[in-house]
Amino acid sequence: MELTSQFAIWGLIAGMLVLNFALRFIPLAVLSRISIPEPLMRWLSYMPIAVMGALIATEVLLPALDTFFNEVRIYQEALPYAECGSTTPVPYPIFFMPLPGILGVIAAMVTYRYTKSFIGGTLAGVVVFALLQLLVGA
Amino acid sequence: MEISQNIELKQFTAGLRSGFPIFLGYLPVGLAFGILACDYGFTPLQAILASAFALSGVGQFVALTTLVLSESIVASVLASTIVNLRYILFSASLSPHLQGLKYRTLAWIGFTTTDESFAINSAEIRELRASPSSIIGVGTVGWLGWVLGTTGGTIGAQFLGDLSAFGIYFAMPAMYAALFIALASNRKQIYCGIGAGIIVLILYGLNLLGLGLETYWFTVITAIVAASLAVWIFPKEKNAKKGTDTPGNDVCGKVAKSTVEDDVQ
Repeated sequence: MELTSQFAIWGLIAGMLVLNFALRFIPLAVLSRISIPEPLMRWLSYMPIAVMGALIATEVLLPALDTFFNEVRIYQEALPYAECGSTTPVPYPIFFMPLPGILGVIAAMVTYRYTKSFIGGTLAGVVVFALLQLLVGA
Repeated sequence: MEISQNIELKQFTAGLRSGFPIFLGYLPVGLAFGILACDYGFTPLQAILASAFALSGVGQFVALTTLVLSESIVASVLASTIVNLRYILFSASLSPHLQGLKYRTLAWIGFTTTDESFAINSAEIRELRASPSSIIGVGTVGWLGWVLGTTGGTIGAQFLGDLSAFGIYFAMPAMYAALFIALASNRKQIYCGIGAGIIVLILYGLNLLGLGLETYWFTVITAIVAASLAVWIFPKEKNAKKGTDTPGNDVCGKVAKSTVEDDVQ
């Protein structure tokens, strides 16, 4: 199967190599040679935690919210076709959808807090997430 | 203090060890990339080289999709670059701790900088455990995981079945959560991190109202806004001695002292 031309693929590989390297290397090369002004230092010191907060929210809360809104929409679209007088309850699992992610995050945080081990925290998060996902049936 | 320009094996190995969660987290995602790239007409070699050279999770997926849709090299390289603009922030944020290193050392550190290695290195710098050699170790083990994962994907992941059943795709968010706690050294940092989460939710809400922002912009925008707000809201404390914040000839580990003093207050 040939969906994309060989030329385009090699071009993409080369282009990604050059540009990704430039993005990462140039700031490092320049800023590690000069004295960084204090306000910029302070700004940069908040960068790691801001990125982590953003990534956790993006990868855990947003997919959960997406699923939730989708399910609600499907449910609402199905409503007019429900029999008259029947009260179809909102299927309860949709309220629990964000739970595996959120509790997985909490498990990872608590485990890291007490063990100081990244691998321990990661595994605890994965185990809690997997078990709860089975329970919720997502 | 003179920085050793040579890689110190013990610290390098320590870096490999602290980077091991990255290795685990990258395997399944690399696998997914390998499968997808082959589906899209990459040869196994091309898929592996793409991962080995670019080392950029989301960036590679976006590039792949754009290439298939547009057949344009420029469009797909640009798309992956936009997704990866956050690397500028990561490199800039690590640079005070890498003063005076040789360009070839910086080149490898820069080359292997990802969200995950950045986070682990930042946490280790904060805990005074990092050195240039350990930072190189963290980057290297992550790179290995990504390349090995992709290789696995190109040689047939159908034997592995559905990995998502084991929650393995949650490895990365779980690692971010552990890292968040490692970085949460004082109240200001915690507020900044939580604030970032709230900003993401606000952006999501604005998208629901029709803003139409791609999700990969969220990290860059959020990090810039949250860090700027933090600098603006939390003024510099008086006891931060003049000079402690300037990088000077700091080495990893040594420089983190200023951060620790900062945290005591």
